Amino acid sequence: MKAAAIGLGLVLTLTGYGWTQATSSDTSQTATASAQADSSTDPQAHTVQEANADTNSKKDSSQPEHRYRLRLGGLAVGAGYSYFSGPVFPYGYGYWPYGFYPYGGVFSSVFWEPFGAGFPFYPAGYFQRGEEKGEVRLTTDPKDASVYLNGGYAGTADHLKSMWLESGAYDLAVSAADRRTYEQRIYVLSGKSLKITAKLEASLPGDKQEKP
Amino acid sequence: MTRTIWLVLIAGCLTAWATPKGTVPRAVATRYPAHAEQDGVGVGAKLLSRDEARKAFVSDVNDCCLVVEIALYPRKDKAMDVSLNDFILRQIGSETAAKPSSAKLIAATLQKSSRGKRDISVYPSTEIGYGSGPAYDPNTGTQRAGGVYTRTGVGVGIGSPGAGATDKDRSTMETELSEKGLPEGGAAAPVAGYVYFPIHSTKKKVSYELSCVLNGNKVVLALPQP
Repeated sequence: MKAAAIGLGLVLTLTGYGWTQATSSDTSQTATASAQADSSTDPQAHTVQEANADTNSKKDSSQPEHRYRLRLGGLAVGAGYSYFSGPVFPYGYGYWPYGFYPYGGVFSSVFWEPFGAGFPFYPAGYFQRGEEKGEVRLTTDPKDASVYLNGGYAGTADHLKSMWLESGAYDLAVSAADRRTYEQRIYVLSGKSLKITAKLEASLPGDKQEKP
Repeated sequence: MTRTIWLVLIAGCLTAWATPKGTVPRAVATRYPAHAEQDGVGVGAKLLSRDEARKAFVSDVNDCCLVVEIALYPRKDKAMDVSLNDFILRQIGSETAAKPSSAKLIAATLQKSSRGKRDISVYPSTEIGYGSGPAYDPNTGTQRAGGVYTRTGVGVGIGSPGAGATDKDRSTMETELSEKGLPEGGAAAPVAGYVYFPIHSTKKKVSYELSCVLNGNKVVLALPQP
């Protein structure tokens, strides 16, 4: 018995679209914060008599346990071709080129599908984000300014447009020749994006140029 | 050995001292939307809007509390004691009021809130193709030579908990809230910082007033709408 199958797939993945039911996750420390829809409903307030620390625990219990955000992870459109030669067997794995058969060998072997057998589920951009890391998107003027994190040299800004850092607080410094050093305390949370725009002003003649 | 211990202690003190606390106070209390003076001690306050809070913090403070920036201006000849217990935020026209929450408590609340957030991703897919060769047609039960076939499907995935849900994130949020918070203790110079009140309301047109104790006297500031 011979069986041959050839498939061609075209995957069009659209990411970032969707509608929000609950709070989104992206946050920016600067004015470029992403949209955030609020869904908390319970007013967590207290009377004057109850205004003390232990009331906060009551507030916690009134919080909804789970909030979900529905998003369109991607759209896959494919075109395929299959060829079969051999005896007809209605229940064979690879002998069913017609009709709906979402787990067909031809399809899943050449055409990416997020729910296919053997494929773990990864949302769009999963591999770029980094586990338990947050993104720092850095824009500087001049573009080749030197970037320092906690006093250590990290590289030039044009090579560090997007940094993925572990959750924590960092002292960011950006410096360039004949420019004033830009210093900022930044806080990175996993899964969040932080946009930093550092425009280094020209240093005055009396300024002392220091590296962090 | 003793010298090493002293060096470590001094280095630790210098590190703690170097960490900024609070925000930079404005030149005078009158620069704040709400301000008052009591026996030479000035106080200024500003209620942050949700948008301002979102820009000022990486942590999602809007999920759990209202943020008020408070500045205190002690007398030049006398230091004052700053305590968060001296402040109460009250919703005008109701019995709702709250005292400030600590950075640790807010961070824990935000972590819990983040853990409850999950993304549900939908992945629709479709395929159209052509098959050749003999094959079984499930619709008619007969053998077909070939033809066009179509296929559609939808995948649904439930993602991991929302951003800021790990213990490390909680520690980072606590650091951020603490470093930007109003520093407590003795103050001989003007100090300012954010104070977090565990009041959460989705209503837009709600007015608040801030009660504080200055030199043993109660002062009430009506906070303008941000």
